[in-house]
Amino acid sequence: MTLLSTDAAVASSARKILVVDDESHILHVVSLKLRNAGFTVVTGSDGQEGLDLAHSELPDLIITDFQMPQLSGLELCRRLRQEPATSHIRAIMLTARGYQLGPQDAEQSGIRRMLSKPFSPRHLLATVNEVLNEAA
Amino acid sequence: MPSQATITDTSSGAAASVPTAVLDTLASRWRCSGLFISLLDPAGAVVYHDSHASPFFLEYVLAQFRAELGKSLALGADRIGRAPVDRSIPGVLLDIHPLIEKRRMQGILVLAAVDAAIDRTEDLQRAAGRLRLDAQWLLAAARRLPPADDNSFAHRSRLLLDMLHDQIRLAAVQREIDSVSGELSGSYEELTLIYQLTASMHITRTPADFFRQACTEYNEFTGVRSTGVALTVGSLPGAAPAMFGPMSLPAPELHRLGSLLVDAFNYDQSPIIINDLAASPSYAFLGRHARQLLAVPLFRPQKHLGALFALDKIASDFDSHDVKLLISIANASAIYLENSILYEDVRGLVMGLLHSLTSAVDAKDPYTCGHSRRVALLSRRIAREAGLDEAQCERIYMGGLLHDVGKIGVPEHVLSKPGKLTAEEFDLIRRHPAIGARILKDVKQIQDVIPGVLYHHERYDGGGYPAGLAGENIPLIGRVICLADCLDAMTSTRTYRKAMPLEAALVEIDRGRGRQFDPALADALLRIGDGRLKSLLAAHHALGGGGTLLDSAGDSAPAIGETR
Repeated sequence: MTLLSTDAAVASSARKILVVDDESHILHVVSLKLRNAGFTVVTGSDGQEGLDLAHSELPDLIITDFQMPQLSGLELCRRLRQEPATSHIRAIMLTARGYQLGPQDAEQSGIRRMLSKPFSPRHLLATVNEVLNEAA
Repeated sequence: MPSQATITDTSSGAAASVPTAVLDTLASRWRCSGLFISLLDPAGAVVYHDSHASPFFLEYVLAQFRAELGKSLALGADRIGRAPVDRSIPGVLLDIHPLIEKRRMQGILVLAAVDAAIDRTEDLQRAAGRLRLDAQWLLAAARRLPPADDNSFAHRSRLLLDMLHDQIRLAAVQREIDSVSGELSGSYEELTLIYQLTASMHITRTPADFFRQACTEYNEFTGVRSTGVALTVGSLPGAAPAMFGPMSLPAPELHRLGSLLVDAFNYDQSPIIINDLAASPSYAFLGRHARQLLAVPLFRPQKHLGALFALDKIASDFDSHDVKLLISIANASAIYLENSILYEDVRGLVMGLLHSLTSAVDAKDPYTCGHSRRVALLSRRIAREAGLDEAQCERIYMGGLLHDVGKIGVPEHVLSKPGKLTAEEFDLIRRHPAIGARILKDVKQIQDVIPGVLYHHERYDGGGYPAGLAGENIPLIGRVICLADCLDAMTSTRTYRKAMPLEAALVEIDRGRGRQFDPALADALLRIGDGRLKSLLAAHHALGGGGTLLDSAGDSAPAIGETR
């Protein structure tokens, strides 16, 4: 696949992004796209692992799936929001098409954007840059 | 890409590599068991070593590789099959493994450990002396490392070698995963693009809008400078070739390209890929503007609808992915286009029939010629001004067209009676909304339009007919048509009175807001203003409508609302 883009130029500072999804192909696609764009990527394959990694890695941003065994993406974000050490971490949520998040949920969980699957990796990267550039 | 310890074979220029990360992983795992890892290129130069190793290795062993020993190891390396333990360095056990890739030696892996018999080696003193190292210090450093005898060293180095091969395989698998992920990522992009396109194939969308989206997405996705569309003559009336993107062709070239492509796809539906336009016999005229062209047909079974084309990829030549994606877009677009054409066809037929029907009704009274059409136009304009969505505006247009269809059931002599009507005659007139609604009641596609026919004579204050509804109880479509109907009636000459100038009619509308008319809708109509209303109706008159005197001042002012 030829994707003409200036990925590498978009993110010069190596910011850390945690990607959490129980589908490994999503993890691979997303982390490849982000790594190529110069981000440091950490991946977790369920909500609990995501929570642990968020604590140990303190990423700048979390991209998480909504539906995951044990701990849902929404719950993961909510918990991080409640703790002072991680409450600043912004999140992008990946969901099944058609799922909508209430404004209250977004407020309580630090979720800045929702992308429905199948999503465009190009669009995801643009969204990541957008969210990182937004004022806290 | 991870950094690589590249071994360059100077004789052929070919290079093989073991990822540095792999060597680092191994080095860190084996450091504590006293194994020192280094990699020499085929000429014997050190290209990698465990940089966190004990000073014993870094100052003593490595220094000897660099001083000639590397070269002699390299000379011997390809003669070594299963390497026996080498004792070229006093007090040190060496294991030498040539790395063979594609039947060529690409490098030499040298493992080292402290010889368990180091204390008995006098040569160590001499070697240290040559390197100007303190022998006592060297021995002390060596004693901090786990010593090895021949057997345990051979065993350890074999294990390490197995691990190295596993790690190399793992690194290759990781590269493969990355490549598959890259492909998958591309498929995701394609999938989303096609999904978005199919989701936006509303029939109410204009083809220009649809193709703008399709072409712009393709530009962004493949990095081409411009993507465009050309349709076959007659497939969609009035559709000229169009291009979307930062680059555009002058109109004559664009038209010429469009008709060339459409003609070409008539005979052969395979994609056209030209990577050097200036050198192409048929497309050289584009050479001044663009370098590359990719074009695919818009095709449905038995139907050739046109072509999609992309110009200038810049970064590289068009490849099979670009072609495949443009074909996918073209296939989706062709379905949309075919539906659009069919829809336009049926819509044209229906609207044509409706216009004929309502003209027939209007013709019963020479003074109402063109009235239905004008009411339809005015109603739609008011609806738009009031902010209704386009689909609703079109329904209201249809309602305006049909509002008086019930007059077909009212005797002509009553409709065109010049003087005042008797109570019985007025009663006949007042039946036309109900008659109209009855005529249309079985046409299931226009059920939402019927209230406009039935309630266009209701008044906002409840004093109208046939139901005497008031305020918001009157369906919106009825309230809109009522306004349009009254405005056109006032500004038209009727058998029973002369036309009023538009300006005066608008004053009457203003006076009737909240009484006869919905105030919000009346405001919308007044906002449009007489200038724009005149040009709207003038366009209609140019088509031959009659009976209105929008521009001349009438000398008698009839009472408001005296429409029949």
